[in-house]
Amino acid sequence: MFLQQLVNGLTVGSTYSLIAIGYTLIFGVLGIINMAHGQVFIFGSFVGLILVTNFDMPIAVAFLASIVVSGILGLILEFTAMRPLRKKNVPHLASLISTIGFATLLEEGMHKLFGADSRAVPDTFGSQAFQLGSVQIRAVDLIILGIAVVLMVVLHFWINKTKVGKAIRATAENTETASVLGINTNMVIVTTVVLASSLGGIAGMLIGMTYSALIPSMGMTLGFKGLAVLILGGVGSIPGAMICGLILGVIEVFTVAYGASSYRDAVAFGLIILILLIRPQGLFGRKA
Amino acid sequence: MKGITKSLLSALLGTSLLVGCSSGASTSSGTAETPETNTAAPAESAGEFTAKIGGVFILSGSSAAYGEAQKKGLDLALEELNEANKGKLKIEIQYEDTGGKKESAINAVNKLINQDNVVAIIGPTLSGEMLAAGPVANEAETPIFGISNTVEGINDIGEYVFRNSLPESIAVPTAMKKAIEKAGSKTAAFIYAENDDFSVSGFQTMKATAEEMGLQNLGETTFSIGDVDFSAQLTKIKQLNPDVLLVSALYKEGSMVVKKARELGINSLIVGGNGFNNPKVFEIAGSAAEGLIVATPFSPEKQDERVQKFVKAFEAKYGTKPDQFAAQAYDSLYIMSQSLLAAGKADRNALRDELAKLKDFEGVSGKLSFDEGRNPIGEAVVVEAKDGKFVPFE
Amino acid sequence: MEWLNPYNIQVVTFIILNCILAISIFITLATGQLSLGHAGFMSIGAYTTSILSKNADLPMFVAILAGALMAGLIALLIGAPTLKLHGLYLAIATLGFGEVVRVILLNMEITNGALGITGLKSLGTYIYDGMKAVGITSQSLGLSVPVIKSLSTLVFLFLLFLVVLFLTLRLNSSRLGRAFEAIRADETAARAMGIQVNYYKMLAFIIGSVLAGLCGGLFAHITTAITPTDFNYHKVVEILSFAVIGGTEVVWGALFGAIALTALPEVLRGLAEYKMIFYGAIMVLVMAVRPRGLIGSDTLQKLFRRGSKKQNEQPKGVE
Repeated sequence: MFLQQLVNGLTVGSTYSLIAIGYTLIFGVLGIINMAHGQVFIFGSFVGLILVTNFDMPIAVAFLASIVVSGILGLILEFTAMRPLRKKNVPHLASLISTIGFATLLEEGMHKLFGADSRAVPDTFGSQAFQLGSVQIRAVDLIILGIAVVLMVVLHFWINKTKVGKAIRATAENTETASVLGINTNMVIVTTVVLASSLGGIAGMLIGMTYSALIPSMGMTLGFKGLAVLILGGVGSIPGAMICGLILGVIEVFTVAYGASSYRDAVAFGLIILILLIRPQGLFGRKA
Repeated sequence: MKGITKSLLSALLGTSLLVGCSSGASTSSGTAETPETNTAAPAESAGEFTAKIGGVFILSGSSAAYGEAQKKGLDLALEELNEANKGKLKIEIQYEDTGGKKESAINAVNKLINQDNVVAIIGPTLSGEMLAAGPVANEAETPIFGISNTVEGINDIGEYVFRNSLPESIAVPTAMKKAIEKAGSKTAAFIYAENDDFSVSGFQTMKATAEEMGLQNLGETTFSIGDVDFSAQLTKIKQLNPDVLLVSALYKEGSMVVKKARELGINSLIVGGNGFNNPKVFEIAGSAAEGLIVATPFSPEKQDERVQKFVKAFEAKYGTKPDQFAAQAYDSLYIMSQSLLAAGKADRNALRDELAKLKDFEGVSGKLSFDEGRNPIGEAVVVEAKDGKFVPFE
Repeated sequence: MEWLNPYNIQVVTFIILNCILAISIFITLATGQLSLGHAGFMSIGAYTTSILSKNADLPMFVAILAGALMAGLIALLIGAPTLKLHGLYLAIATLGFGEVVRVILLNMEITNGALGITGLKSLGTYIYDGMKAVGITSQSLGLSVPVIKSLSTLVFLFLLFLVVLFLTLRLNSSRLGRAFEAIRADETAARAMGIQVNYYKMLAFIIGSVLAGLCGGLFAHITTAITPTDFNYHKVVEILSFAVIGGTEVVWGALFGAIALTALPEVLRGLAEYKMIFYGAIMVLVMAVRPRGLIGSDTLQKLFRRGSKKQNEQPKGVE
């Protein structure tokens, strides 16, 4: 059972990693926590799902739609809830409340448009299960793990080796200086937000396939897990998001397997508190 | 920018002063009313009286699916009843949303009683909301009728508190005894939602019944409302290898539990509480739902004329099959109508007395009577999931 | 007297309760600490009070006080390690604290888990029983029993609120208040000037938490039934929004936020299904237009300046 639970943990964890990457990209560049990230990508995924169930589109189209819709929502988010707050003297809390407001709007919007009920995700190629010794694993679980790793590598390369990546890093370090140096910081920020949201769109569809259903409330519950991973891994660190997502997943699953299942929800937040007290920059972050 | 701020400020200030004057703003949404209601002298025929009933449900927020099902059931009943009672009784429903918040439930109940002068209230959706708002209605001597509150002690709140939702303590043992005796199970494991009063009280009943039946308790594990990953819990249960797995949850999480359980290769008999009684279970769990046993007062497959008529009408109006929530809502309005007609007037105390006398009411969720404590006495039907439907269990 | 019905009275009662909550978060914010743990402290106060009044049969006011003190005690314990956290990190840590408290409450035997504690005696009933004991009854006042109960709850809460407000205003204009402001403006500079920053931060944190705990106890005895879900993330956001939307600079801002945002769902009942969409949109809009909250220190200055300007202009027309 230990091995199976380990695999379970890694599977759950890789969904967290995918979500956390979105958070860490935005925090890295903007210094704010996008509390609407979860709702953004779940919304996009719902649109994708509806194309499959109501319009008989192939799953690839659903993925595309999810990416596009999430990206557009991210764009709207940036222009309404983030850009206006980038003036001087705006307290941190403002962006927190602003993105929370956007999240509320989106979640209720989903209820009105898609219904508050869960929606089944039809079985696809992902549901194929394999038996590796004593462990059962599904294709979709491997895909998520794979994509999370690939994303981490690609993003890491992109941010550290390309010109655009350099612009992003410069903006992340000091927006004003970057702007003075001629970088179009607004463009960089828009790119980052849209990128994070679109990646979330992929994550959402994969999550729907993993759990065979999408529920609007997933935006909030999974969003929190992603937030926990963000802090655990260190804000702005993509490898941190990746690895700590897996760690959180494994610890959560092991809490259920070998301890008290009713404390599972406290694990994520308990770890946050612990890390903030012991090593506030996260496991992989650099000291501010 | 300053101008906008000033006007925003004054708008919000003015808004907050409208607290007491908001009655004009709220309208009864979604009722099948004819235009001439709410006027001083409605065009009634001789002898017809109007009864205004309040409906307090969760219509927004993450649990809105349940409240909306209830509203649908009520609206269908409203249409049918106003048609059938023409010339005798006209019912109006005023809906208020609680969003799942206790304060909103209390405010909604207060508003309906004191400002809208309803004769009775149906709802609220959650047992927790009823426990907070029920005493308010009881003190105001207004009947309040729960249609989805299954926690113990609801009726004990007061004389004006009623419910037609069978407490789990009646439904669950029926299902367990029937199914488990047939299957000859000896060992049991439990999984339930630990942050939902409905699921927790259902679990407590399941555990007690299992003990009574002499089943060996191999283990219990929990999850939370809103959880989507059950692999950890179910892997643990698979290891325990129980003969029967008892699941106490609402259908959103329950269906995912069942699906994952079968996916992991758990072959135990699965018995669930009536939170499972919803056609969505088949949508989400698919073929994994086969063989699921549920105890419920309502089954859309019951070969009963009333039930089939209701199911067809519901499907025609909304395009989906009705679930437990809708069925009990539907019945509640019929009970109200019956009691109102017996009372002869839209009077809270007269209605309360008639409600308390309810005996052998034939509804779509079965036969119902109230005992001296106003506790619902009804029959639970044991159903089994077969080919995408819940059919009566043999 | 038609407006004197339990509905209006109850809504205003909740508004006043939220005003006290708004003050509780305002005080912590006054030192620049963004604590999202107030819902957690509220729940500690609520549960302590409920367990004491239901199981130990303590008189209600003693139980409520005990709840507030328990919240303060826990704040003392967790306050020290969290002193070194700032800004968003403190926010997340305190949010985490609230969630951990919620899970613990769900799992304890004495709190009855998800079923919560129900059947509590309401504040109104308690006060009315007291009134009856001294001979004041519903007949002698000419009001119905529900009205008396809700009205007495309202009056009691309002008086309590006035006390808290008075103390807060005194605090603001005292040496304490100035220290808070200095710390909020620039913690390092304040420290350099010799202000015992840690002491004041802890103080603010504890006061805020005690008030939140007090509100928890009051909440329990107004709604008569509590479950851990009553103090979840949504409650946190609600309390936070009072201050952030109403105004974080002056206590009037937080109070305005409490009044407007508590009244809003009632006023928006007509929009019922779109209420939350509206609410979310308001949050985004206000932050975009006025991130420090609607009422700031400049708003008050303008209001008072306008008044004195008018006085100066009067003589011109008289000629």
